[in-house]
Amino acid sequence: MQIDIFLFGMLIANFLMVAAKRISALINGFCLQALLLFLATLILAIRSKNIELYIVAFLLFLLKVVLVPYFLRRIVKRIKVEENLGLFVNSALSLFLVLIFTYMAYLFASTFMPVGESVNGISCVISLSVMMTGVFMMISRIKALTQIIGLLVIENGLFVFAAAVSGGMPFIVEIAIFFDVFVCVIILGIFVYRINRLFTHIDVNKLRNLKG
Amino acid sequence: MGYFNASMSFSFDYLSLFFLAVIAVVSVPSAVYSVGYLKGEYPRAKIIFAWFLLVMFILAMVLVVTVSNAFVFLIVWETMSLVSYFLVTFDNEQEKSLRAGIIYIVMTHVGTALITAAILTMFQYSHSFDFAALKSGCQIMPENTKNFVFILLFFGFGAKAGVVPLHIWLPYAHPQAPSHVSGIMSGVMIKIAIYGILRFVICILGVTAMWWGNMILIIASISCVVGVMYALMEHDIKKLLAYHSVENIGIILLGIGAGMVFLKMDLPVLAVFAFCAGLYHLINHAIFKGLLFLCAGSVYKATGTRDIEKLGGLIKVMPRTALFFLIGSIAISGLPPLNGFVSEWLTLQAFFLGALAGTAGTKIFMGLCAAVLALTGGLAAACFAKAFGVTFLAMPRSARAANAKEVSLSMKSAMFFLSLLTVIFGLFPAVIMKILVKVSGEITGIDTAAMSFSLNNFSLAPQPANRACLSNPLLALILIFFCGLAAAVYYLLPGRRNTVKNRTWDCGYYKLDSRNEYTATAFSKPFRAAFSFFFLPYRKTEKIRESFYHVKYFKYETFTTPIFKQYIYDPIVNAIFMAAGYMRRIQRGSIHLYIAYIFITLLGLIIFYRG
Repeated sequence: MQIDIFLFGMLIANFLMVAAKRISALINGFCLQALLLFLATLILAIRSKNIELYIVAFLLFLLKVVLVPYFLRRIVKRIKVEENLGLFVNSALSLFLVLIFTYMAYLFASTFMPVGESVNGISCVISLSVMMTGVFMMISRIKALTQIIGLLVIENGLFVFAAAVSGGMPFIVEIAIFFDVFVCVIILGIFVYRINRLFTHIDVNKLRNLKG
Repeated sequence: MGYFNASMSFSFDYLSLFFLAVIAVVSVPSAVYSVGYLKGEYPRAKIIFAWFLLVMFILAMVLVVTVSNAFVFLIVWETMSLVSYFLVTFDNEQEKSLRAGIIYIVMTHVGTALITAAILTMFQYSHSFDFAALKSGCQIMPENTKNFVFILLFFGFGAKAGVVPLHIWLPYAHPQAPSHVSGIMSGVMIKIAIYGILRFVICILGVTAMWWGNMILIIASISCVVGVMYALMEHDIKKLLAYHSVENIGIILLGIGAGMVFLKMDLPVLAVFAFCAGLYHLINHAIFKGLLFLCAGSVYKATGTRDIEKLGGLIKVMPRTALFFLIGSIAISGLPPLNGFVSEWLTLQAFFLGALAGTAGTKIFMGLCAAVLALTGGLAAACFAKAFGVTFLAMPRSARAANAKEVSLSMKSAMFFLSLLTVIFGLFPAVIMKILVKVSGEITGIDTAAMSFSLNNFSLAPQPANRACLSNPLLALILIFFCGLAAAVYYLLPGRRNTVKNRTWDCGYYKLDSRNEYTATAFSKPFRAAFSFFFLPYRKTEKIRESFYHVKYFKYETFTTPIFKQYIYDPIVNAIFMAAGYMRRIQRGSIHLYIAYIFITLLGLIIFYRG
């Protein structure tokens, strides 16, 4: 079983997320991407028979596939916000831009790595693309939940990038990052909840009124 | 990163010990003074905080002069600056304190940035922060880099020392701190900057070019005159003293600059002598400026104002403080036989000897420096005639001045101690000179065993065998003799009983009250007129009329233009604010936009990397 297929799957999940117009679709997209990342890691773990990788894969599954989406869905339910994400850039154009970003990532990665031949090259391109998509989502979507998911997508990209460039971060760092991500999601979730309670919306672009 | 194993090592060479003495001589009396000064002025918690800051401040200064590692030096230097910032803003409910604090912390950080840059540049050559290693590293430094490092160091430490035009913070920050701290800041802290110059420029970097000394001399001369002229115009007693610190730093740097020039001219004896003169003035200034600030603090404590136009007649209610202030004034004006006279005489001698030893251009330059110093001494005397006369003589100009009480014992004892030191340092310069010769021998690396600038224990003689020498005890005796003679003539002559008692400063006219008295503004008017090219004075008049024929009252105010603020600092500050205004346009408060900035930068970098 090749890892590439999961990586390409992640790219497709990327496009799904960018094209999504509703919050639930976005969370599903993220869930799918995390699942694919988990599978890729699991295969890597099986191949290398590395116990640490098993633990990482397990944590990945637990956090990003189960806990975080569950938590996000719960927030959505509790704040009873309308499903619409609020796009600054409509989904067709977003998709187009993300394609351009992917191409840029390809060009960029090819400057320091032979892209076409190895799995590492492909995962490098895809990870850069995923990171850029994460940032793009943070910029172009109004609802505060997208900012959380964008951050998590960036983290996914980072994970793959680290694996591709340096063969994965040290185990302890990986664990620490998982912990960080989880705490971050919880804190941001609470913020979103509070913001909604206070302003009865979670539209980030309206928060600029707070500027001094 | 092995360089950062900064061993916390200390050096107690003569230079460090000398500065430790300077710190101790002012800090200890100031601490004693603060017992009385803080009492009743602040709540208990605030007093504890004041003590904490004071101890931290003194400790930081002690560390600055004793550490022998540049990295640790920077840390303790910064600690000293920060602690003194909190002392400046100690009365933090006052708007003025916060403003002074901001000016101070900006200036001091500019200085620290320059020093850091200099030390890091030196580090490029030494690969160690240890002073000894830095010194050997500087041997292989190219000439141009040395010049660059010198400029950085001089202006970095100069910002702390308060040389013109970096003096701008001094008249704001020093008066704003509690008085005992003003004394330490003005008396000691700005000297620590001189320590930095001595240590880093002369000991470590080594004097390489003639123009270094010349530049210091020019800037020092300007500092002298500018400081004393602004002091003449100032009527806030602590601000006046702060401006005098600018002047005295100038005098100290005159000695040091002259020493550097002599080092380069290959006149070791003169170089050592000039450094001695500078160091002597340094410790003298520490003593009498500490004394004067403590006296000013006593006046403030007793009357609640620092504006000398509202004081007057304090000699009757606060005779001790008046006496101590008089001693300090005599010393700072450079009048014999007190210590200020000795060190200014030494500095003048250094210039004269330099002029004798040098060639044509040097002769003129040294002569000019001596002239500037003489002018400074004269103006300082005028300034303190004003400060003492208006504050302590005359009639009280306000109810608070009339109802003042003498201050408490702890404050008096501190002032007494410093006055005593002023006298001792004035009367026994030969003994002190012997110690200073060792210190400056160490700074310059010249063997001073054969050098002696004194005939015996009582008189100074910069040139061996012939010409000028100075015996202060003898001078004091002569003064006492003539005063006694005058008193004897006065008391023994007939017709003494035929005296009339009138009010002070009444000129025999019997109906003048304190509102008719000569004021500080009036006193300084001739100087304002004579130096109008520098002060650019302007006035505002305003007539409030009841009708065309009847002017109800007439308002007249006179100002001087603060040229350094107006023509140097205001444009800089305005430029910064304008730039900040432009920056504000991209600060829209939108999170999307901020992330977009990051993203666009990232994309830009990727594209740039491609191309």
